Amino acid sequence: MYNLIRSELFKLRKDRSFRVLLLITAALSLVYPLLYYFDNKSSGDPQFTGAEFLIKFMASNGYVIKFGVAALAGFFIASEYATGVMKTIASSGNDRGRLFTAKLIGFSVGAMAVSLVFPIVSTTEVSLLSGFGHLPEGVDAFFIPRALGLTLLYTAGYAAIGALFTAVFTESGKTIGFSMIFFLMIDTILGGLGEYIPFFTTVYDYSIFKLMNDIGKPSIDGGDLPALLLVPLLTIVAAGLLGILVFRRKEIK
Amino acid sequence: MNEYVLQTNQLSKKFKGSVALDKVNLSIRKGSIYGFIGQNGAGKSTLMRIVTGLAFPSDGSIELFGASDERALTQARKRMGLIIESPSLFPHMTAAENLEANRLLRGIPGKDCVARMLEWVGLQGTGRKKVRNFSLGMKQRLGLAIALLGDPEFLILDEPTNGLDPMSVIEMRELLKQLNHERGITILISSHILSELHLLASHYGIIHHGKLLEQLTAQELNDKCQQYVYIKADNPDKAATVIQNEFRTADFEVMPDGAIKLYGHMEQPGKVSSTLFSAGLEIEQFMPMGEDLESYFMKRIGGAGHV
Repeated sequence: MYNLIRSELFKLRKDRSFRVLLLITAALSLVYPLLYYFDNKSSGDPQFTGAEFLIKFMASNGYVIKFGVAALAGFFIASEYATGVMKTIASSGNDRGRLFTAKLIGFSVGAMAVSLVFPIVSTTEVSLLSGFGHLPEGVDAFFIPRALGLTLLYTAGYAAIGALFTAVFTESGKTIGFSMIFFLMIDTILGGLGEYIPFFTTVYDYSIFKLMNDIGKPSIDGGDLPALLLVPLLTIVAAGLLGILVFRRKEIK
Repeated sequence: MNEYVLQTNQLSKKFKGSVALDKVNLSIRKGSIYGFIGQNGAGKSTLMRIVTGLAFPSDGSIELFGASDERALTQARKRMGLIIESPSLFPHMTAAENLEANRLLRGIPGKDCVARMLEWVGLQGTGRKKVRNFSLGMKQRLGLAIALLGDPEFLILDEPTNGLDPMSVIEMRELLKQLNHERGITILISSHILSELHLLASHYGIIHHGKLLEQLTAQELNDKCQQYVYIKADNPDKAATVIQNEFRTADFEVMPDGAIKLYGHMEQPGKVSSTLFSAGLEIEQFMPMGEDLESYFMKRIGGAGHV
């Protein structure tokens, strides 16, 4: 298993789409705060400090995660079907469950790296321009590690769902398109269904899709924390097991 | 000890509305080069894909290195290398990086095998050149190097010479012969170039419409390929009459161009030529000939078609 994970991490390091995704995200993360900086400068409004920027824009990182997972799922995993590499992998004498798990781990690491670019690069840039400042009243000092830790956890949850889609579709275009639409529409779909069938409201309330919005909350009640931690973990396990099930039965062309 | 590397038992594969493999019983002896012959869609690739674990049988079973249950089969596949349809490569990586990714995948200790394999297939000088810029021949050689990582005992090659220029085809043939002779690697190979396969294989399997029609050794094939004397005389009708009367045989054919194929007199070609000469015939061409693999295959599947 260790060698399989090493192989996936090696491929990730060499993957061009992963590097391009990191670069684009980093470039956008540098440009985005500058828009506010120059806007505030010309209007004379006070500038954001690094701490304020992080709290205010943490939720926007959700879009980076969704886009990053969808793109990486298509380019990093699904493209292996098109290049035929999946044939070598599947016939390498390793159990398919292990192969999928290693792939999920490598893919999650890549998605996690992308998910941290925006908060780290933007906050660092704003801090260099206007100083880091102080966390606002009522925000505990544990906020930053908690927010970044939850970002990683939720990204892994999204990655597990993305990996499941790659096993189902086995084509880059289909995987990216479906993942993108799914991640952007699922809130609306579950919310809409919940209006008619309350069960879907409960499902949505305890899904990573809704709970991800709580990552950037300045403070979290002790009672909410277990759900905030358990839901992504259960998502990883459930989507991972489903992915293994699909991959085991998949004939590779 | 099991003398067979691979055996299939009543192996069948059905797709929606069609039968790709129909109760195939195939045996590949250890140390052999097994030439797998069939038209497009005959079932060659399907069988290879089942053996390599890329597809699943609808019925029947396979035995690979004596292993037949799913867990043991997975383990047995570690002793196998393959190129199915086209070499599976990462286009954005170099040759060395492709080998390294596969080395890690197979859990092979030590990086030295990467350089060794590159040298063995003559790609040691490719440096930082990405695989997407390689020629088809270079890609095939790299595919072979990847298949050979971890010293497999059994190689499965589906159309490994597809798209190669004549020089690369010869190189590939020599490499495979070397692997078989020096390392004792058993090879299952399919190819559209039957003349090429004829120079390589020690055993043959002929598959048609999903059914394995015949398995035979190279020796058996040679024995079965009908031998004849090719005669071109100035007067074909007279020559045919002379043959019929003097040798008391009807086992010959007069071809549309007037040439005669005389079967069954391979041991006395001198007597045939002198008899025709004595009858006053002028012999333009006279040579003993035999059918090749291609014509035998065509005859076996019962008609024309593309391999």
